[in-house]
Amino acid sequence: MAGVSTKEIKNRIRSMESTKQITKAMEMVAASKLRRAQAQVLSSRPYFEILYTAIRDIVGTNKEFSAPYLVKRPVKKSAYIVIAGDRGLAGGYNSNVFKQVMAQIQGKDAAVLPIGKKAVDYFKAHHIPVLTEANVFAEDVSIGDCFTMAKTLCKQYLAGEFDELYVAYTNFISVLSQVPETLPLLPLQYAQTEKAGGVQSDMLYEPDSTAVFEAIVPEYLGGVLYGALCESRASEQAARRTAMDSATQNADEMIGELSLQFNRARQAAITQEITEIVAGS
Amino acid sequence: MNSFPLKIVTPDGLLFDGAAQELIVRTTSGDLGILAGHINCVAPLGMGQAMVLTDGKRRYAACIGGMVSVVNGQVTLVPTTFEWADQIDVSRAEASKRRAEQILQDRSATDTQIRLAEARLKRALVRKGAAQRK
Repeated sequence: MAGVSTKEIKNRIRSMESTKQITKAMEMVAASKLRRAQAQVLSSRPYFEILYTAIRDIVGTNKEFSAPYLVKRPVKKSAYIVIAGDRGLAGGYNSNVFKQVMAQIQGKDAAVLPIGKKAVDYFKAHHIPVLTEANVFAEDVSIGDCFTMAKTLCKQYLAGEFDELYVAYTNFISVLSQVPETLPLLPLQYAQTEKAGGVQSDMLYEPDSTAVFEAIVPEYLGGVLYGALCESRASEQAARRTAMDSATQNADEMIGELSLQFNRARQAAITQEITEIVAGS
Repeated sequence: MNSFPLKIVTPDGLLFDGAAQELIVRTTSGDLGILAGHINCVAPLGMGQAMVLTDGKRRYAACIGGMVSVVNGQVTLVPTTFEWADQIDVSRAEASKRRAEQILQDRSATDTQIRLAEARLKRALVRKGAAQRK
């Protein structure tokens, strides 16, 4: 009887150990990918920030402007770009973004542009209209793809296919903290108080304001998209690293408990045998 | 010569942050020169060479896409790609140019292919041109 139980425990320890090996390997892969992704985030951040301030200043300086990108239309249809990962096993990384998006599109007529395999699968399973499935793999999306996507989105926005555009991504704050966020992209809107900085209201547009906005807005969107993508990628690796680290720790704990049980059972079996021998003699 | 603060930033990072005396860029409507005290202005960039005069030294670069803005004296150049002349890989530009020319000569190429090839050829020529000025 005791023999069967020691064998069972032994099997469980063995399976636990192979699980631990896998989680450990995944953690290491995520850690090395994280380093690369982190470097990318750091180098793309100034671009993202300067682009944002430049656009804000430009929008802030003109008042009588009526470009289609600035005018707020009554919202009939919204579009969300959702950036998630290609694979699971990354803690709450994917589900946190989805939860946030689902809460926001509640009651809205919304379509989604998913980036990443998990996002595509999720929104298809929930019967939410998907704009395009061109970006199934988040890891393969390049900056060129971002700009192409931005151009298409601008065209669709101007054609009235949707009246507002958001991007949902995961902000990489640190290795231990990643926060899902939603950023409004179109129409362009900035707090009017920003103008208090004393920016003069006359701005020279070369060749003219319409042409400037037509050329700049897609660039801006592409840049922001790329920035969000970099943040999300780094967040994914960080989330996976943390999740796999705690999985490895849990496996370690479990192995410890099981080996204690195993030793106890083995000792019990020996004691029992000795008692039987003593009793028999 | 008066100088002004200039920032050049691309998706690959902050390439220049400091004082410059003159900046010339190719916008969609032609070359634009910026000196200190320029009026607030925005312009989308075309494909062409850029010149930055800093510490009395002229530096050339290939500068493609994006925009340039002057707001209260702060000049910001946000191109899609920006390569200093001494960092351009001439052989790569050459290869890219040849590939584009091949596509343009191919009569069976589709409109999109031709458009892409034309853009590629132009980029390659800009790169080559800028690389020669280092």
